[in-house]
This record gives sequence, C-alpha cells and structure tokens, in this order.
Amino acid sequence: MRMAREFFGNINKNKVMLFMVLPGTLWFLFFSYLPMLGTVIAFKEYRFSRDGFWASIVNSKWVGLDNFKFLFTTNDAYIITRNTLLYNAAFIIVGLVLSVLMAVVLSEIVNKKLAKFYQTGMFLPYFLSWVVVGYFAFSFLSSERGMLNQIMGFFGAESVQWYSEKKYWPLILILVYLWKAVGYNSVVYLAAIMGIDKSLYEAAMIDGASKLQQIRSITLPLLRPILTIMTLLAVGKIFYADFGLFYQVPRNSGTLYSVTNVIDTYVYQGLKSTGEIGMSTAAGLYQSLVGFTLVMFSNYIVRKYDKDSALF
Amino acid sequence: MSKNKKRLSLVLTSMMALSLALTACGGGSTNNENASGNGGKSEKPVELIWYTIGPPQKDMNMVVDEVNKYIQPKINATLKMNMIDFGDYTQKMQVKVASGEPMDIMFTSSWAFDYVQNARKGAFMELDDLLEKYGKGIKDTIDPAFLEGSKVDGHNYAVPANKELPAQEVWRFNKDLVDKYKLNIDKVDSLESLEPLLKTIKENEPNITPYAMIKDYMPVLPFDYIIEKMPMAVYMDTKDYKVVNILETPELKKSLETVRKYYKAGYISPEVATTTSVDDLYKSSNWFMDRATSQPMADNLWSASYGYPVVSKPASKPYIYNWSVMGSMQAISANSPNPEKAMEFLNLLNTDPVLRNMIDSGIEGVHYEKVGENRMKNLPESKNYDMPTFSLGNIMLNYLNEEDPDDKWEIFKKFNASGVNAPLLGFNFDTSKVSSEIAAVQNVKEEFWAPLMTGTVDPDEYLAKANQKFKAAGLDKIIAEAQSQIDAWKAANNK
Repeated sequence: MRMAREFFGNINKNKVMLFMVLPGTLWFLFFSYLPMLGTVIAFKEYRFSRDGFWASIVNSKWVGLDNFKFLFTTNDAYIITRNTLLYNAAFIIVGLVLSVLMAVVLSEIVNKKLAKFYQTGMFLPYFLSWVVVGYFAFSFLSSERGMLNQIMGFFGAESVQWYSEKKYWPLILILVYLWKAVGYNSVVYLAAIMGIDKSLYEAAMIDGASKLQQIRSITLPLLRPILTIMTLLAVGKIFYADFGLFYQVPRNSGTLYSVTNVIDTYVYQGLKSTGEIGMSTAAGLYQSLVGFTLVMFSNYIVRKYDKDSALF
Repeated sequence: MSKNKKRLSLVLTSMMALSLALTACGGGSTNNENASGNGGKSEKPVELIWYTIGPPQKDMNMVVDEVNKYIQPKINATLKMNMIDFGDYTQKMQVKVASGEPMDIMFTSSWAFDYVQNARKGAFMELDDLLEKYGKGIKDTIDPAFLEGSKVDGHNYAVPANKELPAQEVWRFNKDLVDKYKLNIDKVDSLESLEPLLKTIKENEPNITPYAMIKDYMPVLPFDYIIEKMPMAVYMDTKDYKVVNILETPELKKSLETVRKYYKAGYISPEVATTTSVDDLYKSSNWFMDRATSQPMADNLWSASYGYPVVSKPASKPYIYNWSVMGSMQAISANSPNPEKAMEFLNLLNTDPVLRNMIDSGIEGVHYEKVGENRMKNLPESKNYDMPTFSLGNIMLNYLNEEDPDDKWEIFKKFNASGVNAPLLGFNFDTSKVSSEIAAVQNVKEEFWAPLMTGTVDPDEYLAKANQKFKAAGLDKIIAEAQSQIDAWKAANNK
C-alpha cells in the first residue's frame, strides 16, 4: 500500500518531466522494443503464412544458428569485419579531432556573423543524401570526364582509373565521410563550448594566459565529459557501417571490394536477390550484440579511470 | 552532468545498442480481412486489390472507375489498382508480402519479385483447381507452353501473359553510322567478327562509344544457366545434363579474352564496370552498337523510341528459357480472401478485348481513339495513362497501333513456334538447402562478375582468382546440389 502510494506520489511529483519524456518513450517502445520480438526470426526459416505476419513467424521452422552461417563461411568474414572496424575507428578518431578543432576555431572567431556563415557552410553537406554525394565524388573521379583526371592531365600526370584502383580508396572514403559529417558533429561541441562560464576565460586573461593556454586549460578539460559520451555512443555503433557511404560512393565497383566491402554491404549483396529475412535479421542481431558488448566494455574502462565521464 | 541526466542517457544508449535492424518487419501485424470481401455469396461486390509493376499513372482512378463499371455486372467485383515503379517493385513487394498486407492479385516474374522463390516461400496461392474451375478461358487462349513452363514443383502459381515465348539475343547497330561508313553487318555472326567494324568507328568517330555496354553485360554463350548470372550451367546441346562451372570452360575464356581486347582498344567505355545505364548514349545517338534481347519487329520499336533508325542481327537462336516463359505473370496472393473472384477477373483480363484494352490504353475517346476495327491511335491524353503493356496479361488481345502490320500477332505466333526449348526448361532449382552458400557466392559474384565480363580486368589473372574464391564460398556444394536435383527431375520427366 505504502509503496503504491509512494509510486503514484512520485509520478504526481514529476508529472511535468514524465510528460516531457512520454513521446520519446513511446517512440522507443514502438520502434525499438517492439521490433525486438522479431529477433526470433534470426533463428527461423521464414516462410509466409496466409494468416499474416505473426502466423508466419509462429509457423516457420526453427533452424538454430543456420542463418548466421553465411556471415562466416568465407574469408570475406575477416575482410568485412576488418573494414567495418577500421573505417569506423578512423571515423571516430579523426572525426573527433577535426570536429573539436572546428568547434574551437568557430568559437574563437570574433565576427559572429562570419562564424555563423562558416558554420552553416560546413553543416550543409550533412543534409545531402549519399546518392547525391556519390555523384559529387563521381564528378571528381570519373576517369573520362572527372575533374581530378583533367587537372592531373593539365599538369602532365597520367590519368588514373579511380574506380578500379584499390589503394586510394581508404583515403577517399575517409575524406568524403569527414566532409559530410564534421560540420554536424562540431555543432554539438560548439554548443558545449558556448555553455562554458565566460568568467573562467576572464580570470585566465587577467592572469595573462594566452589563447592557446586558455584552450588547453579551460576549453578542452571542460569538453571532456561530452567528448567521452559522444565517443562511447559512436563505439556502440562501430559494427554498423554507413551503407550509403560504402555502397554509393565507390559505385559498387567489384574491383574495390577488398577495401570497400563492409558488413552492411555484404549482407545487402548476399540477400538482395534471395530475400531471406531470417538471414538479414541474423546479421542485424549479430551487429547489435557486438555493439552492446563494446559499449559495456568501453564504459567499464571509462568508469574505472573517470567515474564522472562514464555513461552509467 | 547530474545523476538524472546520466540515467536517462543510460536508458537511451542501451536502447540504441539493442535496437535491431529488422528491415522488413516494421509493419507489425495486419488484419487480413477485407472489409468488403465476403466470398462470392454476398450481394455486395467484392473489392479486388491488385499490385502491378510500372510507374504510377495520373489518370489511374479515372480508368479504374470505368473498368469497375464494366466488370461489376460481369463478375460482381470491383478493382483497386496499385502501381509500384520498376526499380522499387521487388523490395516493396517483399516487405508487403512478408508483413501480410491484404492483396488479391500481384505481378511476379523471373526478373522482378522472383516468381519461383516466392511461390516456394508460400506467397502465392496454388492455382491448379482455380484454373480448372474459373480460368477455362485462360487455358484455351494462351500458348500451353506458358502454363507448362511456369509450373513450380508441378503446380501453377501464376497466370503467365501470352506474349513472345522465346528470347533471342541480337546485336543492334546505329544505322546512320552503318550507312555512313558502308559497313557490312551481314557478315556479323560472332563477337570476334565485330572487330573490323568497331575499329572503323573508333578510328573515325572519336566522340562515339563504339560498343555501348553496361556492367550487367554477359557474352552470348551456349549455356542454360541454373540461376541467372551465376557461373553454373548446362550446355545448350547437353545430353547428360551435367552441370558445369562456366569459369572453367574454354568458351567463356575465349569470350573474355576478346572483350578484354576490345576494352584495351578503347571500343568499350573505361567506366563500364560501374555503368548501370547508357540511356544518355541512346538519347544523344553517340553509340555504334550494343546487344539486346529481341522480339518480333523490335527494330521498329527501337527506332521509334530513339527517334533514329536501329538495325539488328541475331546473335543467338531463339531459345525458350525458364526466365523467358516467366517474363510476366499475375499471381493470386496466398492470403486473398476471394481467390475465386480474382481468378474470374484474370480470366476476363486474358480473354476480353474490351477490358484488356481499357486496362492497357485507358478510356476510348479520352486516351485513345479507334481508327479501324482493331486498330487505335493514342491521343495526347495518353501520357497520363501509359501502362507497360507486357505486364498486364494476354498482349495478343491488344488493338494494333497505326503503323503495325495487320498480321502482327500472327508473326508473334510464328516466332513462338520457332523457339527451341532450352534444356532446363521446366526445372526450377530449390535453393533452400544451400541458402547460406548462395548468399556467400552472391558476394563473390558482385566482386568479380562485372570487371571480368566487361574486360576491365585481365582474364588470365582474374579468372583463376574468381574461380578460387567462388569455390571457397561453396560453389561446388551448390553445383552438387543442383546436379542431384536435375538428375531427379530428369528421371521424373524422362529427359
């Protein structure tokens, strides 16, 4: 009785707050928790039943771990895992450094109008679809009419078949990713910098600290919690590759596969024609499990060294 | 950061980490019951939901209203038509069917929303009895080879469209260029014999792409494939039905060497391995030749659509393949509440010229006008109702266009009779035992197929590499499975 009263009392006390999180809660309930039940499809050979979706799930045959096999049957398993992890690691590290750098630079620009202009300019690519970005890249890299080859031809260098030369692609992919993502990510850090108490800087200036010293001793330490959180969140998605980036930008060129094939494109190639829902669910479940483990693990490490920066 | 905020972010993160990529299951459960459907007994007309392929049309509702006025007195049913564009059809239908969305009739084929696979997965209703009871007209009008060739494990799951039965590969030429350089295309009979022609064009016309090719290109080889664009096949003239790995055949090697030579000579675009469409070349007429699948009087069709003359030369005999028989079909959904009505409608669609032409060309006097007994002319409004003719059932009921010869459908029938059965006609590979291997092999195929077939890479080096990787992905296991199924099928059919 008392517990119930306390519970409802709590609800009553926090009703405004609870009301505010309600839409988000519902969203997660419907789009993240409810579909989780579908995980069982990963262990079934999905066949249609005339009584609809639920009946199809119930009536499909259990097949144990068979659906996971295709991910590991060839040595491609190693290549796609390596590509996914290394590219994402590069995106996280280089992206973090560049975004923070941009945020600091933007916050230090005195002319605020100009700062807003730069910010918007950097922000824009984020809103382009990967298909469009793929064509941007193509207009640079096309071997017949691409800008890059024409510029190189102007300086007497030999033209390069960009879409069949593997060695350039790790760099190209990272550059394209940064171009698209850095502007957006820097906004988060910029907001955090704006939230830093100005009196700290004033005090530092009175003590005679230079700009660089201010950045090193005030801005960066105060950014650390948000840096850690953003990085931890990114680590949780380290097993999800950006499908658009790896599929559209290299124009699905077969000769580049050993450096552009990632888990998401591999699953797509393997299943687009067979439409085996069981296998694609298995791949999604595998990615989620690895991501979950990685978040737990990295959070554990962070907590060990700096309890306040950890997520939980 | 306060404790509360931290808790919230904990909840959010764990949710994100766990949220699954369940691509196909967003819809949740759907209620199958069709509000107006109540068997054939009710007085109320039944509403049939039809999904078919092609870009959605502006005047669709107007035409469907007319169609309903026409069919309701005949079969006491009305139609609700939905169109999904070519590029989206397969994926959207896979999701709709997997989530059990209500529908009665749907387009299926060998190249979009795969017929055999989905029939085996249980997406379609078995039609044997329905055809017998409500589809007499279909059985009487369409070429029996269609119904026979589209059986899956001995049963019909869809009604094929009566159209051209065999598939014939041709080389097409831009006639203006052929005339300009007085090239002799009569001597063309193989890929190798094209060389002098390509050479002339390359030397004299620097802005023309001599051979317009896309990444899906495949040489004409004497094989009948078990799965399209997978390296396992039987020879066209096979007696023992032995499945071969085409990567190990001399025919493929020779073709690849020729293509490689053409690629290096600049007859093919250097970007061919990533090119998915050469429509820009066709529009600007900056191409000399390519290869295409033909049908009777195709040269006229192509010339009319490009706006300049195109001529063609056969590159293969007309063969009747599984995929050509299953080129265009309408199936009845396994969850249809009114399969009998759906079959009555399909029967009408394939036998009644009024209905067939209304669905195809729209309303007389609005979208087209008649200029003869079974001849018509499109009116300007037809741009608002421009349907893909081949996808909508028996094309031989269609009114002729102004420029068509009187005996157009006779020519089609003759062409159908001239077709030679490919050895695997009627055999459908059941992939369920080797599905992980197929998924892995698909990836190897995506990696090597286009670069090899288009000559982008050196076959001497890459053919062996590809073969090795195909084998590592389990190609041999798939071949063995296919062989045992073919042997069983052969024994059962006295081949």
